[in-house]
Amino acid sequence: MREQDREAYLEKYEQQKKKGYFLFLFQLLKYFPGDLEVVGVIVLPVMALTFLIFLPYLDKSPWRHWSARPVISTITIAMLAGATFLTAQSLLEEAPPGSVTEAGDRTAALYISNCAGCHGSKIDVRPDTDLFSVVSAGTHEGMPPWNADLSADEIDALIGFILAPRGSEVFAGSCSQCHAAEQLIEADAIELRNALETGSAYPPHVEFNLAEWSDTLTAAEQGQLLNFLTAPDGQRLWDQQCSSCHGRAVAFDGSASELRDVVVQGGGHLDMPAFGQTLSESDIQTLARYVLDPSAPGGDLFAQNCSACHASTIPTAASLPEAVDAIARGGAHENMPVWGDILTDEQIAALVAYVEQAAEGGDLASGGELFAQNCSSCHGDLGEGGVNPARAGDIIAPISTAEYLRTRDDRTLQAIISQGQPNFGMSPFADSFGGPLKDDQVNAIVAFMRAWEENPPVELPPDVPSSPQPTASGEEVYGELCSQCHGPNGEGGIGTSFADPQWQARNQDSAVFDAINLGHEATAMIAWGEILTLGQIDQIVTHIRTLDSSAPPPAPDATPTFEADVLPIFQASCTACHGTLGGWTGTSYTDALTSGANGPTIVPGSPDSSRLVQSLIGTHPTGMVMPPSGALSAADIQTIIDWVAGGAPEK
Amino acid sequence: MNDDADLPKADHADSSLTDPAAQGESVSRLDADTQPDEDPQLDAKGISRRQMLTRSVAVMGGAIAAGVGIPAIFYVAGPAAEDSGTAEWIRLGAASSVEPGTPTLMKANVERRSGYLTSTEELSVFVTTENGTSFEALSNVCSHLGCRVRWVDEQDGFFCPCHNAVFNADGTVASGPPPRPLDQFEVKVEESQIFIKGIA
Amino acid sequence: MSSKIGDWVNERSGWRNHYAAIFLRKIPKINWLYTLGSATLFTMTLQFATGILLTLYYVPEPTQAHASVDYITNELTFGWLIRGLHHWGSSAMVLLVILHMVRVIAYGAYKYPREATWFSGVALLLLTFSFGFTGYLLPWDQRAYWATVVGTRIGEVTPFVGGSLKSVMLGGEEISGLTLTRFYGAHVWILPAVLLVLVGIHMYLVIRNGITAVPKRNE
Repeated sequence: MREQDREAYLEKYEQQKKKGYFLFLFQLLKYFPGDLEVVGVIVLPVMALTFLIFLPYLDKSPWRHWSARPVISTITIAMLAGATFLTAQSLLEEAPPGSVTEAGDRTAALYISNCAGCHGSKIDVRPDTDLFSVVSAGTHEGMPPWNADLSADEIDALIGFILAPRGSEVFAGSCSQCHAAEQLIEADAIELRNALETGSAYPPHVEFNLAEWSDTLTAAEQGQLLNFLTAPDGQRLWDQQCSSCHGRAVAFDGSASELRDVVVQGGGHLDMPAFGQTLSESDIQTLARYVLDPSAPGGDLFAQNCSACHASTIPTAASLPEAVDAIARGGAHENMPVWGDILTDEQIAALVAYVEQAAEGGDLASGGELFAQNCSSCHGDLGEGGVNPARAGDIIAPISTAEYLRTRDDRTLQAIISQGQPNFGMSPFADSFGGPLKDDQVNAIVAFMRAWEENPPVELPPDVPSSPQPTASGEEVYGELCSQCHGPNGEGGIGTSFADPQWQARNQDSAVFDAINLGHEATAMIAWGEILTLGQIDQIVTHIRTLDSSAPPPAPDATPTFEADVLPIFQASCTACHGTLGGWTGTSYTDALTSGANGPTIVPGSPDSSRLVQSLIGTHPTGMVMPPSGALSAADIQTIIDWVAGGAPEK
Repeated sequence: MNDDADLPKADHADSSLTDPAAQGESVSRLDADTQPDEDPQLDAKGISRRQMLTRSVAVMGGAIAAGVGIPAIFYVAGPAAEDSGTAEWIRLGAASSVEPGTPTLMKANVERRSGYLTSTEELSVFVTTENGTSFEALSNVCSHLGCRVRWVDEQDGFFCPCHNAVFNADGTVASGPPPRPLDQFEVKVEESQIFIKGIA
Repeated sequence: MSSKIGDWVNERSGWRNHYAAIFLRKIPKINWLYTLGSATLFTMTLQFATGILLTLYYVPEPTQAHASVDYITNELTFGWLIRGLHHWGSSAMVLLVILHMVRVIAYGAYKYPREATWFSGVALLLLTFSFGFTGYLLPWDQRAYWATVVGTRIGEVTPFVGGSLKSVMLGGEEISGLTLTRFYGAHVWILPAVLLVLVGIHMYLVIRNGITAVPKRNE
């Protein structure tokens, strides 16, 4: 542990100690779980208080020496001793095993600083609890979500610690002299088991003259140690141990016990017959060559003997002898490790539970369908992103890049889809948050997205505009860079319209300069100051000023119509809510003109008195500007105004 | 001794509050400051045990009061000594936008930090140049009572509408009540951009 | 010189009588345990001083509370000291109050004629706890927030009135900006006002009744 880490940890540990005089109360509560809580919270304290208040009348004898007042003295001493005992107990529990003395035990430090304050030294977890989501999302009563403060690895380490607090002690005693906890937590489970079983013969350990772990640690301690180092958290286990072969998308349609067998037996479950007994030597040779090179003859043999199990997928082998050997001997020739020998019972249970749960939503076909229905209008058919219809001037970044998917686990994706991202105009999709999808449908979408990770349809980063010549004038730079989003003549598009006189009037030169120089966070507008010189930016500002069209943008050739011009705007920005919510409905021409909570929202020919227009531009006295995620683009609003003014024609 | 026996002692203390005369003898005997001659416990240096205790209590009390009081003074005065963020160069705009001979009003947004709060405020500055290469920056805040001055071409000076003060183009007072010239900022030009630094 | 000023003031206020009554009263033979009350009084004074200083910068507003505490602790000259004194002073105060009470019980000092002193003392004990509870929320960090969640949830267990007790304490169903301001108001105005009155009564009674001697075995 580095020195400043240690200091920070000691500081947190110290903070943990404050308000020590309440400790005995919390400790007392632990003796009165559930319905008995009222005893610890109310009855005992009220009794103690009553005793204190009425003390002068409980003890009316004139004697003041303690020995002359045996009852009062006994009660007082008992209360003091009780409080002292509870405080001491709480303090002793407060320091988890091996944490304070062993500098290497960072997880215990994590536990102390994050959990011990409320939970004491250990937490009894019911079996089958999804501890990861409890910790990261804070679904436990009164507990905050920790995923903002802790990384997934840290939460993992914590879960290992909670489920196997002794494991931390074993670690501190046997490993921490040489290893930091996080270093081993990231290690491969197979290697960990290997090191544990081979003991001093384990190659990296040979020169250190270690004791045999099998002599110094009991089987239970070994299990605790492994649980501590690789937390029994199904999703993470899958990611670390399984996804390299099975991919990130989980699909399994068998029962839990079958699944368990597959995991425990690993390659052992693949009962391939030993073809050495049924096929001739030459046939085996032919098959082996075919396996190595599918263009070689042997397809017929393969179809007869192998395709029943292997279907059309031809297995691969590293060399001819290996292939021959595998075919001849059959049996557990696959590379899947026998996880029953590697993982602990808790880890296997967690893995099985996760695969079961994840596979429920693992129907990729339905996931793809749901994605197309619900997501592609904003995120594109392949998750490539595009213009954000909910927020003018905003670009939705691709969600199907390997980078994006690798940095977000399934739970994060689930949360984003379920709860939406109102800041970015994305509404919640899970029915528990008022959206249209059930939880397993959300899972299906997550699985569908996960399948992209192996073979992403979009790769980032897109071409960064080549750095323009420092000598280019502001006008040239504008034409080359700015016009892509703001239009060659400043008419706008993805970006703001510079032709808009209001915009021109609203923004001072220095504000425009700063916007170009520093960019806008969370939009495609980057900080150009890193690419352009200040002089160029200044010239761009000057150029932008020339784009002001003091006349309003040219009116469209003809009056917009509902079907061609208005409905797409409604569909993009309104009907997500105004289709199911009641009140005004914008899904069809009739509905748009006739529905409304207090009367029609559209008065053909009179935009000013149309509630719809008032809500869009914010002139309605009540209610907020629609859509709630931010006003429509000026062009869209103008289209709707023109449409209403032109009599709101359908076609 | 029982409680009844304890009572007279309480009564005695009681009398000390309500009737000091009744206890006058003992007070004067104990009050070494006023009646040192009567104190039976004088030591070699002429300081009684009571005086000694009183003084040490005073010294300790003073030390504690100082221990809290002196940091408290710094604590209260603390923010006054803080830098509110004006010591940085502030970009005003392109040097080319300043017309030689005529003060040009330029604006910049300045972030000010006050304790844990930051706020942006707009800073307006008159920039003057004679030759387009050397620049001067004058505050537009009148040095009299803080009204905003503006440039009036006909008068060839800055005019303050509050009390009809007039400043010359270089910021010196031409007429009216202001006690000193307009404040000046430090100016530098980099990449043909004007930057200022200073008070205001 | 100083005695001249003293005389001048004494003629007009009679302070020497009160000084004598408070500081020069007769006391029985006692031991160091009898200083626990004065120590509590001293800690209380310190809490008042540092608490008043903290209000110069602290803002009881959800978006600013933590920022202002952070500013006091990490940026202000000696802010860490003032806040540290107030923080540790609160623990010291609770500890001293309890020790003081144990001393009183051990010496049977609550007996006639000092029952009223005892009652006011019990009220002061509760008041000290209330200070600790309301003050704990004010830094408005995670720990403060959840400690208050737990604390008010415990109060909710009270039969019959628990629910309404909790809403009155929180100023609503959840901890919010209203909770913060009412905890602040309680911690800075209501509780100190009650405390001053009760401490005044307590000390008047102590002086009026005198203090008990260390009891002997056969008393």
